[in-house]
Amino acid sequence: MPLLEVDNLQVEFSTERGVARAIDGVSFNVNEGETLGIVGESGCGKSVTSLSVMGLIPRPPGRIVGGEIRFAGQDLTQLSDKAYRKLRGRDMSMIFQEPMTALNPVFTIGNQISDVLRRHKGLSRKQARTRGIEMLAEVGIPAPDKRIDEYPHQLSGGMRQRVMIAMALSCDPKLLIADEPTTALDVTIQAQVLELIKNLAADHGTAVILITHDLGVVAETCDRAAVMYCGRIIEQGPVDALFEQPRHPYTAGLLASVPRIRPDRLPRLPTIPGIVPDLLDLPDGCRFRDRCGQALERCGQFDPDLSAEGDARTEAACFNPNPVTQT
Amino acid sequence: MSAPLLRVRNLTKHFPVKGGLLRRTVAQVKAVDGVSFDIARGQTLGLVGESGCGKSTLGRAILRLHEPTAGEVHLEDTDVIAAGRSELKRLRRNMQIIFQDPYASLSPRRTVFETLREPLDVHGIGTKTERRKKVEELLEVVGLRRAVLHRYPHEFSGGQRQRVGIARALALNPKFIVADEAVSALDVSVQSQVLNLIDDLQSEFGISFLFISHDLAVVQHISHQVGVMYLGQLVETAGAADLYADPKHPYTQALMSAIPVPDPASGSERIVLSGDVPSPMNPPSGCPFHTRCPAAMPQCASIEPKMQNLGSEDKPHWVSCHLYGDPATD
Repeated sequence: MPLLEVDNLQVEFSTERGVARAIDGVSFNVNEGETLGIVGESGCGKSVTSLSVMGLIPRPPGRIVGGEIRFAGQDLTQLSDKAYRKLRGRDMSMIFQEPMTALNPVFTIGNQISDVLRRHKGLSRKQARTRGIEMLAEVGIPAPDKRIDEYPHQLSGGMRQRVMIAMALSCDPKLLIADEPTTALDVTIQAQVLELIKNLAADHGTAVILITHDLGVVAETCDRAAVMYCGRIIEQGPVDALFEQPRHPYTAGLLASVPRIRPDRLPRLPTIPGIVPDLLDLPDGCRFRDRCGQALERCGQFDPDLSAEGDARTEAACFNPNPVTQT
Repeated sequence: MSAPLLRVRNLTKHFPVKGGLLRRTVAQVKAVDGVSFDIARGQTLGLVGESGCGKSTLGRAILRLHEPTAGEVHLEDTDVIAAGRSELKRLRRNMQIIFQDPYASLSPRRTVFETLREPLDVHGIGTKTERRKKVEELLEVVGLRRAVLHRYPHEFSGGQRQRVGIARALALNPKFIVADEAVSALDVSVQSQVLNLIDDLQSEFGISFLFISHDLAVVQHISHQVGVMYLGQLVETAGAADLYADPKHPYTQALMSAIPVPDPASGSERIVLSGDVPSPMNPPSGCPFHTRCPAAMPQCASIEPKMQNLGSEDKPHWVSCHLYGDPATD
């Protein structure tokens, strides 16, 4: 049984202009110890997906209107707030993009790590401090016995993100959700932090959902990946298959438009024409149709579901996917 | 070779740090510390480096949005640093800037029309009808429909807003534009559209760019020359092709290997740098990079390396690193 099963999840937000369905029928699984990447551009619903799993959708204006989120067999959408609080931080935890806003500026780091450990593990003040120092050492913070008494503003961005990781992993959760954990960091620091998440997850057997807009980060850290567009998963599968032979035209277009270092400079970058449609004014049929170079007539009538075909190793939601070539 | 459009020599910008009861200057942040380079007509110099390396300060110091502490900047034959108020205003017709966050750099209370007309008003260009025509032309150049003329910034997507920011920079037909992280806030599919637009504008109008970015891949795509900055200094500059094919400085090498490649099969070896960037208030002695350098030698801690040309006369490849011996000092 997978650790996490998200089944036909639907999330809506009330806005001044009407009700926007930010997530419209998203299904995916995460197995124990596995790293799943969820990738997509701004507004595609990747963060809303992760917040739904954590039970952190702001209500109002948001609400889960359909589907199930099963974590170790238990449906989280039915969970009371109190039961959720017990789960969060202990069985599943989350790290955010901006560690400065995720950490409380008026408490020391030690205070914040101890809180988690005392609440969920019932440790004494002294035990929690010792364990906190161990955790800081594990995430590679130099002089952890001194750093533990410092405030978040005294640390660099990379160090703050390490503190977040230490806090998130302090209770040995089964699932870690990392929402753009390295987006605010410089590349050299990003490399350090990704390496750290990868190693710690492997050591602790933690399953990870990595939310990112950076296809490079997904390729280097994840086992499987799901590509989201306009509130739906449009393609998912093992990372190597997805990057080698993307079947959905959006996945292929995204991969092509990333500038990458190459021996010969391309005269022009390939682009995806047009812009992402408004969630309040979605086209009929496939949401990508207006920007798609290989749309068929029925793409305008029906919205395709994810399906695997023949030898394909990824599932794509497309009536006219790129063919699979044998390698 | 013809004279460069922009010539920067030993440009330095120090910010004073005030402290104590009397708010005396207690230290200097050496944001930009003796940077020199040229940009040729119609060419792009890409400037890469991590946060706090001084790349944005450098861009602003060239335009005198920050008053430089020392150094020279020449745009064609004009001394930018010595220019007085009125001359500076005239100069600004020729040098413009595109900012990272088009949401913060466009006034939320002005329509696109008002925003784009402002530079024309300020510099007293054309009659009312001519200005309107010019604004419409600008929109067309950056790929926006005329229908958006009376919309406000919040009605646009990030990519469209950045197009407005670009149109504003183009309004006075500048010769030189500083693009400060101009595509960093955009999604990849939009980023590639805007990069192509910048490319087109350069070939059409022959504008020179200083393209500041933390993203090495974007910089390679857009630049003719590339400079790598660390702690306020240029550590390596070369033609884009040379720099990417054969990075010399250990910092450049580490930066390149740190970029995640969207190809799981690449299996590239990573140089993961240890530690953080030191504070520019108290930069390390000797080579500023020696505290994180995997190839550091004893002299790196004490002797500051000098720039030396490892390339040829016409294809220079400048690097400041002790690994390549020391340039003849006599």
